[in-house]
Amino acid sequence: MVAGADAGLSMNNRLKVLRAERNWSQADLADALGVSRQTVNALETGRYDPSLPLAFRIAKVFGHPIESIFSED
Amino acid sequence: MSKRLWPVVGKSLLGLAAILVLMFGAGIAVGYLSARGVVAADDAMVTVMTIFAVILMIGGMAFSVAWMRAIDEAAREAHKSAWFWGGCSGMAVGGVGIVLASLPQAQALQFVAWDGRTDPAAYMAAGAFAMMLLMTLGYFVVWAWWWLARTRG
Repeated sequence: MVAGADAGLSMNNRLKVLRAERNWSQADLADALGVSRQTVNALETGRYDPSLPLAFRIAKVFGHPIESIFSED
Repeated sequence: MSKRLWPVVGKSLLGLAAILVLMFGAGIAVGYLSARGVVAADDAMVTVMTIFAVILMIGGMAFSVAWMRAIDEAAREAHKSAWFWGGCSGMAVGGVGIVLASLPQAQALQFVAWDGRTDPAAYMAAGAFAMMLLMTLGYFVVWAWWWLARTRG
């Protein structure tokens, strides 16, 4: 878990929307990111906040800046 | 299970099989040599078992390293969290046993600790094993909670 979660901050993300726009399944996104489908599910539901390297990978896969994908609650 | 884990499991099983075969061979060799009076059976057995215990534990550590490298960051986080919270909780439970065992009243306590034995080494092994068991139990409970809370649904 990231430090923000420990400090009581929670994060929102647009992963599910971005994935749906591309008609990707969770498994497709998981393959693109090199993580498991369960991890993608945990990310989308906001139950797990990614590390900075994974957040950068997500941004690269979707071609968006990190701040447009993740935001503070 | 992730596709990246299969090679880790496969290689680990092969390694374990190799250790078991080597152990079997070493057992036969020790039996043969001690029957011929070349080595003392007890000393040889202790030496062989020490070597294999070290090899087995090094293999276990290598397996853990390979496993942790093969899983993704969320799965790794689950293990780290489980080790800290579950392991510490299990250790706390075991700590109560340590305090009670250190009381003078526990001096008279006698029970079969290990394979019918009641000697100090057997008690030491039983204590270490009990602590390991409690920590592992805590580990699995926390791991399951962490993983299910984040990945189900």
